[in-house]
Amino acid sequence: MTFWQTLGAVLLTILIAFISGLFYMGIRRKVIARIQNRYGPPLHQNFLDVMKLWSKESNIHHGIMQHLAPLWMIAMGVSTLLFIPIVYNSTFWANFTFKGDLILLLYLMVFGSLGFALGAGQTGNPNSAIGVTRGLSQMVGFEIPWVMALIAVMIQYKTTSLTDLVAWQQQHHTWIAFQQPFAFLAALLVIPAMFRYSPYDIVIAPSELASGPPSEFGGKYMGLMMSSGSIFMFAKLALIVDIFLGGATSWLWMIIKTLSLYMIPVLWSAINPRYRTEQAIWSLWRWPLIFAVLGLIIASV
Amino acid sequence: MNTLVLLLILFFGGGLITYFAYKISKIIGDILIALIGLTGAYLFFQIDIHSLVSIKLAGLRLGLGFNGFSWIFGLLVAILSPLALIYSIPYMKGRERLEWFYMLFLFVIGAMFGILMARDWVSLFVFWEIMTWSSYLIVIYSRGKGLDKVGLKYIFFSAVGAYSLLTAIVLIGATIKSLYIGDLINFFGVLSLKNQLLIGILLIIGFGVKAAVMPLHVWAPDAYSSAPMSFTSLFSGAMSKMGIYGLILVVINMYLNHGISSVGHWLAWFGAITAVMGTFYAIIQDDAKKLLAWSSVAQLGYIVTGIGVGTKLAVFAAIFLALLHGAFKGTLFMAVGAVERQAGTTKFSELRALIRKMPYTFISTLIAVIALAGIPPIAGFIGKWMLYESLITDGHVWLVVLLFLASTAGFLYSYRILFGLFLGQEEDDYKDVKEAPVLMTIPMLLMALFLVVAGTLPGFVFKPIAQSMEALGFADITYQMSILTNSWGDMVDMTYVAMALGVTFVVFLIVITLVNRRGTRYVTTKDIHTAGEPPSEDDNYHFALDFFKPFERAIAPVFKYSMTRIYNVIGRGVEDFFQFVRRFYTGNAQTYALYVVIFFAILLLLAKQIF
Repeated sequence: MTFWQTLGAVLLTILIAFISGLFYMGIRRKVIARIQNRYGPPLHQNFLDVMKLWSKESNIHHGIMQHLAPLWMIAMGVSTLLFIPIVYNSTFWANFTFKGDLILLLYLMVFGSLGFALGAGQTGNPNSAIGVTRGLSQMVGFEIPWVMALIAVMIQYKTTSLTDLVAWQQQHHTWIAFQQPFAFLAALLVIPAMFRYSPYDIVIAPSELASGPPSEFGGKYMGLMMSSGSIFMFAKLALIVDIFLGGATSWLWMIIKTLSLYMIPVLWSAINPRYRTEQAIWSLWRWPLIFAVLGLIIASV
Repeated sequence: MNTLVLLLILFFGGGLITYFAYKISKIIGDILIALIGLTGAYLFFQIDIHSLVSIKLAGLRLGLGFNGFSWIFGLLVAILSPLALIYSIPYMKGRERLEWFYMLFLFVIGAMFGILMARDWVSLFVFWEIMTWSSYLIVIYSRGKGLDKVGLKYIFFSAVGAYSLLTAIVLIGATIKSLYIGDLINFFGVLSLKNQLLIGILLIIGFGVKAAVMPLHVWAPDAYSSAPMSFTSLFSGAMSKMGIYGLILVVINMYLNHGISSVGHWLAWFGAITAVMGTFYAIIQDDAKKLLAWSSVAQLGYIVTGIGVGTKLAVFAAIFLALLHGAFKGTLFMAVGAVERQAGTTKFSELRALIRKMPYTFISTLIAVIALAGIPPIAGFIGKWMLYESLITDGHVWLVVLLFLASTAGFLYSYRILFGLFLGQEEDDYKDVKEAPVLMTIPMLLMALFLVVAGTLPGFVFKPIAQSMEALGFADITYQMSILTNSWGDMVDMTYVAMALGVTFVVFLIVITLVNRRGTRYVTTKDIHTAGEPPSEDDNYHFALDFFKPFERAIAPVFKYSMTRIYNVIGRGVEDFFQFVRRFYTGNAQTYALYVVIFFAILLLLAKQIF
């Protein structure tokens, strides 16, 4: 692999993740519209939105941290994506997957939200700060069952490396979801909270907080956030597919698996109202935590 | 003269000279302490690690000298103390009784070097007490309201620690007839199990007080936040590490190297619970100093967990975290001190939006907070990674869960401190706040720079740690400049992490700055979207009160149990008991005569059984 091949693979990965992420969001809008008996926007509506936002004539910011805020998000989205194996056993699509492990990914995945929280804090809008505190509190809620599920997998297979997990599943022609059902259930239950979809949309909460942390962002800032959001969403889905659903042997399989997985939080959010913050935390510390504890006990004995 | 002795003379003699120098002129004193701090660091690096000063006193061998392991903690003291002293010059300007403060300050530094040099228990105990008493006098230096109680709490717990240390030392002297630390380590295996446990646990209590391990942490939050911030940066950054030094000595050198790992595992649990509880208490504080103090307790919990687990990677991570904690907590206490000096308060409910007024303080705080939260690519992540990996590969799954809970909840107070001090809606009250003086910002920025460099190239820090680990008795310590590995062979290459984050960040920084540059403008923090109700000039919508109320509600059951409350119950019980005992002393001679008669009657009745 020459430098240029690696660079090409990296750029292509980012581009495909970006496009599929935006399409997934389009599908989500369409699905929710159909459930609510509306026609809904076209599938490519999000592309138009991003283009519109980038070409806005006037952009305002409240200081340097807000100016930098979307950059933490995009840096997080891109780096997370590069450390996640997309195509099994492919040297071309390997990216940085041999250079990091799951614990790194766990910490990389909060890098952007925290950086963005600083930008949201600088805007001076009280709704932004309230949204951030809610988001951080909810993060404590879902990280515990999520981390426990991952530790269960890690100690069962004696590896913290994602590529090893994918390789094991591919070689044994099975999914860890079947081998570690309790850990998988716990992970499945926290996915809506990870995506911050209803009933865990307490951060954005349009009717209470006027969309919370992003409320002061517009124009190119919002455009970059949407771009990074789509990349990061794809990365998160690919991560769960790699850990529990056997990874993928080609881009096509990866897209099929991630899209099907994505439908779970989407459909769940379509029929749910919103929790209060403490309710959200408690709900995450009930069934998901019970399943995670079971998974961990099974893995460690 | 030997450099070891010179170093001690520099700080203890220098302390006395400083006292008189400040009496003569403040400027001479200021120059003197900066010189003493820098000379101390210089002398420290001249020390030959094998040099030893030993004397025989009343048949006991006493000795001074570093070894590979204590040297690494000496490094922390040597680097942090001149920075704290230089920072202290502008910070303490205009305060009274400076001569007193700086004399004690230098005594503490000298005592810390003394503890690390001590090769025998007697010198260790003497320096330990000098450190305790000097720091106690600094804690109560400000003479504020309620400070006597804080000081009392600190000195009470220190006394408990000192007594158990002393008891352990007497026991050691009685059982192995030598007060040399090395002798105890060598002969620890031959001691009976009872003595092993008794000596070890007494020492753990003695050192655990300084390391603020639950349930001995009660003094720490108040003492850390009451001392002047220039001292607290050293108090929390370096002095608490003396406890860690002692704990490693006991848990690794005595227990683990002689095949006893259960004591360490118990200690690891105490450490993990300390980390969780410290974090929860940090979240609900309204004062930045208090928040940092509780966060220190929590961070020391991680280190103690690493020591307790005792595997190669865990101890490596613990020492790494101990060094880093010195750097980032030192920076944070300094930054809060800078805010206190410039804006007059450290309360989140009063402060707001200082970022444009104090940019350098903000940058160093930001980097230190990222290190504290353990987010890549700053160095804190490396310590956290090694600790988690060591726990996972060794099968301590529940400890990992507790530590993850602590560090995820740690994001909450990390955000609080940045938002509460520097972000939010601007307020006219703080319009005239200026950046802190250069002598205060430079130490902070230097430490922040260290944290950034150590995040991508941790090999520079790994090198001395690996040497100290070998001195501790671990074999085959391998490390690489920027690659971390665990015992299962999984690895993280920090250069790739830094590259992925850095390149993306810079590329998009250029993009977002250049795209439509004409149409981008700055607006004030009052000019915000408020759904059609623009705030008037006097309104301030800053959000600071009950910041994490929903989270507090979610974890409310935890707060029912607090060590302070338990100690209070015990204290009240003891008080009631003595109140009861006091009733016997009526002051009436006839009652006393009656007691005597009753006593003799009992004696006569029981005479057969007794004699």
